[in-house]
Amino acid sequence: MVTQEELIREARENGMELLPLEKDTYELFFGPQHMATENYSLILKMDGHRVVKAIANPGFLHRGFEKLAEYRPWHTNIALLLRICVPEPDVPEAIYSMAVDELMGWEVPERAQWIRTTVLEMARVSAYLFWMMGLSFKLGVYTAGQWAAAYRERFMALFEELTGARVYHIYTIPGGVRRDIPGDKWLRQLRDTVEYIKDKLKDFDNLVFENYITYRRLEGIGVMDKKFALNEGVTGPNLRATGVPYDVRRADPYLLYPELDFEVPVLKEGDALARALVRRFEFEQDLYILEQLLDMGPPSGPYKVDHPSLKALPRFRVPAGDAFAHVEATKGDFGAYVVSDGGNKPYRVQIRGPSIAHGIRVIEQLLVGARLADVPVILMSLDNCPPDIDR
Amino acid sequence: MKMESVKIAPEEKVRKKPSFLKPWMSLKYLFKKPVTIKIPYEETQIAEKYRGFHTLNWKTCIGCNMCGQICPARAIEMTWIEGEKRPHPKIDYGRCTFCQFCVDVCPTNALGHVEHYILTTEWKDEELELFDWVPLPEEMVRKFSDYRHPLAKIEKYEDGRVKYVLRDGSEFEFKILGYGLKPPAAAKPKPAAKSAEKKEEPNPGEKKE
Ligand code: SF4
Ligand code: SF4
Repeated sequence: MVTQEELIREARENGMELLPLEKDTYELFFGPQHMATENYSLILKMDGHRVVKAIANPGFLHRGFEKLAEYRPWHTNIALLLRICVPEPDVPEAIYSMAVDELMGWEVPERAQWIRTTVLEMARVSAYLFWMMGLSFKLGVYTAGQWAAAYRERFMALFEELTGARVYHIYTIPGGVRRDIPGDKWLRQLRDTVEYIKDKLKDFDNLVFENYITYRRLEGIGVMDKKFALNEGVTGPNLRATGVPYDVRRADPYLLYPELDFEVPVLKEGDALARALVRRFEFEQDLYILEQLLDMGPPSGPYKVDHPSLKALPRFRVPAGDAFAHVEATKGDFGAYVVSDGGNKPYRVQIRGPSIAHGIRVIEQLLVGARLADVPVILMSLDNCPPDIDR
Repeated sequence: MKMESVKIAPEEKVRKKPSFLKPWMSLKYLFKKPVTIKIPYEETQIAEKYRGFHTLNWKTCIGCNMCGQICPARAIEMTWIEGEKRPHPKIDYGRCTFCQFCVDVCPTNALGHVEHYILTTEWKDEELELFDWVPLPEEMVRKFSDYRHPLAKIEKYEDGRVKYVLRDGSEFEFKILGYGLKPPAAAKPKPAAKSAEKKEEPNPGEKKE
């Protein structure tokens, strides 16, 4: 007879891990095909319908982004790195481009800065709509989820017009952006869309954010306190929901944000409800920021740096050095650290993704004691991006 | 850091009040028209300059392989064609990410793109082969306005000849001598065998740098 200990030891020698069975609990594989987890998986130890222990089981979307980036010319990495965050691909594009700009010592033209800021805010709005869709589906308010998907479509159409692609825009490049704004018609469309979504936000409030059921479902689950959040490197709305007013757009301003006026929402509870309300308020603020940007209007001038090295992209070289750039994404603080050895490929690209902080240690802690029905809701309230966890 | 400049939203603005009645107001949407577009029965309007299939002006392409070097997916293979002095890119849509960096770098603007984007097939081998092609000139691709791939069939012959049959029945025939950056050693004797052996080499575009 082989004992349990021997089996566990043997598995460990072969690089695997066997979890001992216990009498009162059972193991539940949650994901990766569960709709709520989006290709991310959890192993739950359950006692009845309560979670006793949660173990993150990521890796289904692993592509080795950072290693692959070392083998591709500087510009083509954009087509790769944006896949780290599917709902807002413009964020990885922007941080990488900003870091390379810093290495090149380029001051990006004003028009390009305006376009980049607008694109980032549009990405934020559409990512929040995507999140609203997810949250509503998980709460069972399917109607609101369908609305969010339909409204996000309007932003996808705008992106399509501007960048030439719907989901993976591949638009922000070192030195500026790839295309100019397709004319005033596009700006008018953007303003109309912002107005339209603002109007529709009331319906979302009625159905989701002021719904009695939402409060019953979200209140008091997945609570984290300020100290825990700061220790675990939680950022973004998740951190603001615990009472820390940290927003990269204010703490380390980039692009046009110093000139823009917006309020940072802060709540103290740190539960799923606080996170949802913070996100909802930020969504409103982002629409307001887009309006301000449209009032400013795009400055005239070139939309990318005029530099001879941009003429022959495969031979584009970046002087040796290192640079870090980060932006506030809807998921949290997204940063890129880029090292160059002077070659035509990066020496190292390190991405600091927010979801990797939220998706492993934090979720394992927050799920302890939760009901099974609350697991997808807690996951959604953290708003993870699974490719970022698996990278 | 300038933490003090953060404008914090007043808490009562962030908070909402739970309500029993408000969710029912959404019932008004029962009387509105759905926003769903019934694809494929309804047409969607594709944006101008949507990044779709490529076009290639065979006369101006100088075979510089810039496109092959920038391609992040290594989807481009240089193809030597009889009668053309320089090789032309062959694009494999099984790998292409439609980033269109190849179009951006092309020094002579020979490589371009159209809005056509539909990649769906019925998963038949001969259909899949259509998506590995040397792009045709723009006017031949633009003839078709339904956003689908312009080719109906690719016929391949023993001696390296390839015939592209377009969806309107017109034909385009040429002879492939080999693949890679270097011209195939001798163009005359049995090029079919040569092209087969050349094919096995890994993509030469990546070796150059
Ligand atoms: S398509 Fe353009 S980039 Fe590619 S080989 Fe021809 S000329 Fe060079
Ligand atoms: S559009 Fe396709 S073929 Fe052209 S560079 Fe991008 S991946 Fe390569």
